[in-house]
Amino acid sequence: MPPQLFRIFLLAVGIVGAYSVARYFLTPPSFGEYGWYRGAALAELATRDRVYAGKKACEECHSDEYEKLLKHEHKSLACESCHGPGQAHGKDPRKDNIEKSSFAVCLRCHEANPSRPKWHKQIVIKNHYTGSKCTECHVPHSPSEVP
Amino acid sequence: MKSHLSRRSVIGRISAAVAGVLAAPVAKAAKAVAQKVLVTTDMPKDYHPTQHKWVMAIDANRCIGCGFCAEACKKENHVPEGPYFRTWVERYIITKPKPGSGAARGETLVDCPNGGINGYPEAPVPKEEIQHSFFVPKLCNLCQHSPCVQVCPVGATFDAPDGAVLIDPNYCIGCGFCIQACPYGCRFLSPVTKTAEKCTLCYHRITRGLKPACVEVCPTQARIFGDLKNAKPDDPILQFYQNNLVVALKPHLGTEPRLFYAGIDKEVR
Repeated sequence: MPPQLFRIFLLAVGIVGAYSVARYFLTPPSFGEYGWYRGAALAELATRDRVYAGKKACEECHSDEYEKLLKHEHKSLACESCHGPGQAHGKDPRKDNIEKSSFAVCLRCHEANPSRPKWHKQIVIKNHYTGSKCTECHVPHSPSEVP
Repeated sequence: MKSHLSRRSVIGRISAAVAGVLAAPVAKAAKAVAQKVLVTTDMPKDYHPTQHKWVMAIDANRCIGCGFCAEACKKENHVPEGPYFRTWVERYIITKPKPGSGAARGETLVDCPNGGINGYPEAPVPKEEIQHSFFVPKLCNLCQHSPCVQVCPVGATFDAPDGAVLIDPNYCIGCGFCIQACPYGCRFLSPVTKTAEKCTLCYHRITRGLKPACVEVCPTQARIFGDLKNAKPDDPILQFYQNNLVVALKPHLGTEPRLFYAGIDKEVR
């Protein structure tokens, strides 16, 4: 074999060898577990912290309000729809790490809007009420009740 | 000559010979050490991605445009401030045609200020001129033939076996090809991480038995979420398919979305 060919051959073997070694050591162990990607990425995404606790978590302490809510029109609402994210509150129940909900939150759903479906109860706020406390006349956890 | 047979050289030669014999196991051990850097976390207990098939469906008849979903998504997933959304709610207004114009429909007006989180301004046309108006929540369409996955040059985005289309942030190089490829505009380049981001169906919630944040807070159950592999006959997701005529967005593109809508008009894209 001519020496120049032999050197090219050696070089090729060296490159392929170096690639194989690098591939052997650097391919993540979970690569190909589910498909042509790193399987551990799923676990990494799955183990992130959550911010919203879920309705079941609220029930643990607030079962009375939870039961009440389920009996009335607002039964399809989650606690966190109006009160905001509650994971921090669930871990350390304090009054200042959960929202109280307010006038503005009521109006987010119930202010009249021609784009809203007709079955949904809506009011034109300036014709309906001039104060700033819906709870004067309505009970949010059981809307059909009169306070 | 004595130096050739020093204790050090003898031990060295013996260990080299041993290493030669045990090359394979040693390489394996070395590989394990090298890969400790690459391994991170395990799946939550009792969750097997191959045993689920998550899907969402949208009943636009029930959407009241409150924007709770878009807001919850931002908070839950730490989506950056500004025009970045993993889910958002569009308002469609279709005006009446001009009298005598011979048209069936008027103009289509679409707006989505801040994803719908802060509500919508008053309709740009008077109420009498509106033929039809409704809200359409948008999110990842969970395509079966995802263009975003096909174009990724580094294989950072993939169709997970449980139905979510996910991004591996460690592999994403932020080239933005997937953002251009997604016909539904469901991806963005995060100014914080400089990688592409998208709806993960709240992967960290569904793997723990919770609903995605947007589904959790939706006050009217306009968003329906379920597991097609483990759905009982009365499961809301199966009920949705049974009780509604459904459409997918942009079917002509062949992306085969798994996200179905009920109650939207032909103007919705």
